[in-house]
Amino acid sequence: MKICAILRTVPDLVEEIEVIDDEIEPFAYIANERDEHAVEEAVILKERYGGSVDVIGIVDEDSEEEIEEPLAMALAKGADRAIKLTMSNKSYRRIEQAKALAEYFKDKDYDLILTGIQGIDAFTGMLGPMLSVYMELPFTGYVTSVEAEDGTVKVQKELGGGLLGEFRVKLPAILGIVSAEKPLRFVPLAKLRQVMKKAEIEEDELEIPEFEGVQVVKYYEPEKPEIVLLEGEPEEVADKLIEAFKEIGVL
Amino acid sequence: MKDVAVIVEIIESTIQDISYELLGKAKELASQTGGKAVAIAMGNKVDVSSLPCDTVYYIEDDALENFCSLHVKVLSKIVQEVNPKVILAGNTSIGTDLAGHIAVELNIPVASLCNKVSVNENVRATSLAYGGKLLVDLELKERGVILANRGSFTAATEGSPEVKKLSLSDIGIEADNEIEFIDYIKPEEDVDISKFDVLVSVGRGIGGEENIDDAKELAELLGGEISSSRPVVDSEWLPKSRQVGRSGKTVTPNLYLALGISGASEHLEGVKAKNVIAINTDPDAPIFRVSRIGAVIDIFDVIPVLIDKIKEIKD
Repeated sequence: MKICAILRTVPDLVEEIEVIDDEIEPFAYIANERDEHAVEEAVILKERYGGSVDVIGIVDEDSEEEIEEPLAMALAKGADRAIKLTMSNKSYRRIEQAKALAEYFKDKDYDLILTGIQGIDAFTGMLGPMLSVYMELPFTGYVTSVEAEDGTVKVQKELGGGLLGEFRVKLPAILGIVSAEKPLRFVPLAKLRQVMKKAEIEEDELEIPEFEGVQVVKYYEPEKPEIVLLEGEPEEVADKLIEAFKEIGVL
Repeated sequence: MKDVAVIVEIIESTIQDISYELLGKAKELASQTGGKAVAIAMGNKVDVSSLPCDTVYYIEDDALENFCSLHVKVLSKIVQEVNPKVILAGNTSIGTDLAGHIAVELNIPVASLCNKVSVNENVRATSLAYGGKLLVDLELKERGVILANRGSFTAATEGSPEVKKLSLSDIGIEADNEIEFIDYIKPEEDVDISKFDVLVSVGRGIGGEENIDDAKELAELLGGEISSSRPVVDSEWLPKSRQVGRSGKTVTPNLYLALGISGASEHLEGVKAKNVIAINTDPDAPIFRVSRIGAVIDIFDVIPVLIDKIKEIKD
């Protein structure tokens, strides 16, 4: 199977995100967690059925450097090629990214394109279903496992409330991965450094079209409702928690 | 182009709760646009006669009994006929598959992860982006497809709509095999966490499988069970049956003690507790926005002390 996994960077939520009206300036970027699961699933499928895995990292000028480590990580896990695709202009609109990617994927002949479902910055739609319309390929998301079967894949899809559905999807197809079927494998730092030293990351540009149907009016922090904050040393906090448990009636 | 349409979500021939929430909002929006609240339902042998709206387009066929690639084709046809100003769908597994597709196909702007929507000349929506750390107000030109988080709107209960029942042949759509439904899989459950009055819930902050036992002990001492957010299940530190949130269980305990859980919106959708108490080292973690009581402290500093103290009380 010829597989492609899409890897994006998103703001690191542990760090500050500065808000300036209709723009944000994150302090740091990290790999989108669900995309890391898509990469993991791609490598699992390659190990099981053979074939190749290309990982494309989509970045803009601000997050260009931060993609290099996750791309090297993908190579260390078993991906064959890592390609950095820089967007010609910064875009939060998924539809613009989808249209640009569909153009990029033309003639690439992948059997399967895997993307993580709903990154934390997916407030203008989802890449997978949008890409599938432009590429005229089937799509389904919230996928947690993939098995190949004669020109199709059998997938398990989360339907909510713990229920899963099993579906047969005709190839070529695009799948939105929510979790790889196994936990993300651990790559020792020494191995990652080694790969990073000699990794060949190919580079290309992604021509972003314009679609002005949706636009950000403003970003802002949600209101903070009143909360009782328990302060002090662990001992004091524990005492206050016990008081609270008693008041609620669970102790 | 005044109507407000809702994509009704049907799983195992049952209309999902989120659809009633969306219809509640659709009625409110339609009263502002001067249009109708229209439900679009696709299934087989589903009773849609009392859906709370003005009109139901119900497309019934054996082939539509379970979700498959036909649904998106049918939906696209019906939406073109209804030509609504706003389309509301759940920000769910099926909702995102369907709405993301038709938005592009019919060239309608889309906003996802939303908890608010309003209409005037354009459509305005508020999205809970960045794991709930920021809100984004979005403006969608003229029309909009809105994917709403569960629990954002008040559900409407019953109505007596006009039902327009159609078959696949009525709308000229033939069966295909792009995505076929095979079966439902219900994971075996060691425990039903939705039945407990106390849940000690662990997130990524628990750090590793080796620390789960302490949280379990605390849960036992409080007469409850252990639950978790998604990353803990992804790492296989706890089984899937313990997951709270959009893809996991919705829980309604008296006490939800969140340990090292950031509180992303997909997790919070499943937390309907009377009392949320959160412990997290990040003072900006969204979990504190839904908590009654909180402590910004390392869980590993406080859990052992707490366990000892409760044991003392119990002795």
